[in-house]
Amino acid sequence: MKQRSIQLLISTGVLLLLLIWTHLFVLQQEQGANSTLIFWEFQVPRLLSALLAGAGLSLSGLLMQNLFQNPMAGPYVLGINSGASLLISLLILGAAPSFLNELSYVSAAMTGAFLAASFMFLVSKRVQNIQSLLVIGLMFASFTGAIESVLQSFAAPEQVKQLLIWNMGSLQQMSAAQAPWLGTIIIFGIATTLFLVKGLNAMVLGDAHALQLGIKVRQLKIVILFVTALLAGSITAYCGPIAFVGLAIPNLARALLKTQDHLLLILFSVVAGSFFLVAIDVLILLLDPWMSIPVNVLTAVIGAPYVAYLMLRQR
Amino acid sequence: MITIQQAQVGYQTTLIDIAQLALPAGQIYALIGRNGSGKSTLLQTLIGQLPLREGSISVGAFSLEELQINAALRAKQVSFVASMFTGVEALTLRAYVSLGRVPHLGAFGRLQAADMQFVDKVLQALNLSDLAQKDTRKLSDGERQLASLARAIVQDTPLMVLDEPASFLDYFNRELLLDQLQQWVQHKTERTAIFSSHDIDLCLQKGIPMLVLHQQKLTLLAKPTKQEVVALL
Repeated sequence: MKQRSIQLLISTGVLLLLLIWTHLFVLQQEQGANSTLIFWEFQVPRLLSALLAGAGLSLSGLLMQNLFQNPMAGPYVLGINSGASLLISLLILGAAPSFLNELSYVSAAMTGAFLAASFMFLVSKRVQNIQSLLVIGLMFASFTGAIESVLQSFAAPEQVKQLLIWNMGSLQQMSAAQAPWLGTIIIFGIATTLFLVKGLNAMVLGDAHALQLGIKVRQLKIVILFVTALLAGSITAYCGPIAFVGLAIPNLARALLKTQDHLLLILFSVVAGSFFLVAIDVLILLLDPWMSIPVNVLTAVIGAPYVAYLMLRQR
Repeated sequence: MITIQQAQVGYQTTLIDIAQLALPAGQIYALIGRNGSGKSTLLQTLIGQLPLREGSISVGAFSLEELQINAALRAKQVSFVASMFTGVEALTLRAYVSLGRVPHLGAFGRLQAADMQFVDKVLQALNLSDLAQKDTRKLSDGERQLASLARAIVQDTPLMVLDEPASFLDYFNRELLLDQLQQWVQHKTERTAIFSSHDIDLCLQKGIPMLVLHQQKLTLLAKPTKQEVVALL
């Protein structure tokens, strides 16, 4: 049982390395004087975006599914991205240009994500069934979307364009200078989560049960909310909203590994999440000569049917 | 040893009023009472999920207040078998039982070799070894109930509290459950088990001391007879 999980983990890791190699050296060969510069300034950050966003989003999905005790939870469907998106819009449109830096960007996104996650968590205490919760998440997203539209009508064309591009979600926005920031945040998030494994395992049985097993449930939930916001918020700040990864990958992990041991689930979600987004980007690069596809379109084409399948199977 | 003094048990109003009661260790006790008499409320209080309205209860060397504040300590003193466990997808029976070791594990929740041996031994004693790798969602209600008992045994606490642990069990498994509980309390000193039950006849037949709950009072019958029990209910 455990051996099979470890084999799966290692083989996914090896496939990921192959994909990374393809991504960097097969599909994006630059010739000429600027090739080294292009490699380090564009190709590597793009790859890192995919790796980090994939790992972080699927991990935040896993954490949310544990927190809400529901496999259909995820940062995108529950409006966590929308919270981040709203605060970023407010920042881009409202703040003085001198105030727009790394720190303000990321902290706005994280604050938004944290507020949205807390709001949805409070709602989930009243609304038990997941269908209603998902609808409320949807309403929340369209509500924040509406506010953003209103805000945009006051904005200068340049700002609107900036927002539109950001809102499409892209792996090409992060600069080489930004990569270490996002990298640090994601690694910090993963490391923190690893220390929660025991509590996450017990939480699978529900609050009362976990409490009886000596888990400080309330504290754990606050840490989960914080880490989720950290991961989803920072990724949304750097890459825009990316859908379905957070929902689909942890479900895939449970289905493949057939376990609720969160050490294995965390490791597999991180590797498989990276794998998924890098694979999507490889597809984008392959199709590039004919058409340019935004990352969200591809994640939706693959992710949405899978999520629909999961919903149907739940019945 | 469980000591209860001037305790008032209840959520918003007092459901049970216990002047004084001592339950010596090394015994299992059957909590008997009619529907709605407050059996579950009393059990919830004993496991520290519901604060006492008045008075005090001590479990071994600790007071219930201490245990309520310190979840980690409580998990090493009191284990609980809920009346219903519906199963969790992708959680195998063995993994579920192993969760009983959580209070004794480090931050990463890794089982040591000794933990695994302990789990295997308990699974075997409860005839669950063949089901070890089965998804807890796919077990029968009775199998899940036995698995919950296994989880509590593995938790290895001085006090075990069980809420109608035999409601889904067949005749043979009810016997198995009571035998296992008897063995469990006698295996180590200072162990006590309290379980709620409606199966008065079986408890009488096994000579299990009874805690009879009726009209807000709790009475201990060390050697109960049917007339005594029925008269109290």
